[in-house]
Amino acid sequence: MSLYVLEGLRPWVIQRVSAVYMALFIIYAAWCYFTADVIGYQPWKSWLYHPFNTSVVGIFIIAVLFHAWIGMRDVVLDYVHNIMLRIFVLGILFGVLIGSALWVFRILLLSVVS
Amino acid sequence: MKFKIYRYNPETDAKPYIQEYQLDRVEPGTMLLAALLRIKDEQDESLSFRRSCGEGVCGSDGMNINGINGLACITSLDSLKQPIEIKPLPGLPVIRDLIIDMDQFYRQYRAVKPYLIVHDPMPEVELTQTPVQREQLDGLYECILCACCSTSCPSFWWNPDKFLGPAALLQASRFIEDSRDQAFEERLAELEGPFKLFRCHTIMNCVQVCPKGLNPTKAIGRIKHKMVTRSL
Repeated sequence: MSLYVLEGLRPWVIQRVSAVYMALFIIYAAWCYFTADVIGYQPWKSWLYHPFNTSVVGIFIIAVLFHAWIGMRDVVLDYVHNIMLRIFVLGILFGVLIGSALWVFRILLLSVVS
Repeated sequence: MKFKIYRYNPETDAKPYIQEYQLDRVEPGTMLLAALLRIKDEQDESLSFRRSCGEGVCGSDGMNINGINGLACITSLDSLKQPIEIKPLPGLPVIRDLIIDMDQFYRQYRAVKPYLIVHDPMPEVELTQTPVQREQLDGLYECILCACCSTSCPSFWWNPDKFLGPAALLQASRFIEDSRDQAFEERLAELEGPFKLFRCHTIMNCVQVCPKGLNPTKAIGRIKHKMVTRSL
């Protein structure tokens, strides 16, 4: 681990694996949406609160977070050359992603305990 | 035939400028280098550019021709839209006119240790390879270090001191693939980190401009593949 949180081969592999998972999830989610009998908040809520769907959505969110971190980090490494500004931008990005993750997992946790 | 050529002499010019030249009686099939030599001989002896073999072997006369990097000696004037705009290879400091300072490029080339590393005692005769092992080097060893690829790479422009660039990485791949080399682990370990190898975003400008028809992007992909299989 370093300033860039994951570097070299590992993020490159994670980026590709997460992309494949996200693509598969989107196909699954689209299939669920288009084959659903009723579209609405309650059916969507019950779909999300199904343990399998809670799990795959949770993994999807983790994949999105890693994918977004690695992609945005690459953009910052390419364009932001001042080291202090780079740390600042990466810090903001890290905070936003962690905040988003906590928010989503709070929702998913509520689905598990309810 | 009309030419617009980048001119800059740091000793006399405050900033670079574009100078126009007109060349008459150009025979079909004439190469750009021949035209530049005629301009230098007949019109302006101060026009500066590198050249040597004149047949695409030495890689000296790399330049930006109508926005695309290439070798002047193997670029036919017939294939170029007029006015022909000629600039130095981008991304490296200009010494004068079309001559660039290639120190950075050669530093990166040296950084990948472009020579066989053998830890065992050297054999009395030679290090042999099977035909199949030799074939692994096809598409890797032919590089003439003209710098057309590295200087066309946006990742190289963004991080010229940290990203090794397609030319150096092609050389790295050439020795990683070599069955006679015994520094496989060290070479891969040396390329780890966020900058040296992984700034390549497969933009593929390098493939488009390589005058030898090589594919540095594919070579970089082969290095990444080797890293993945090694880590499993």
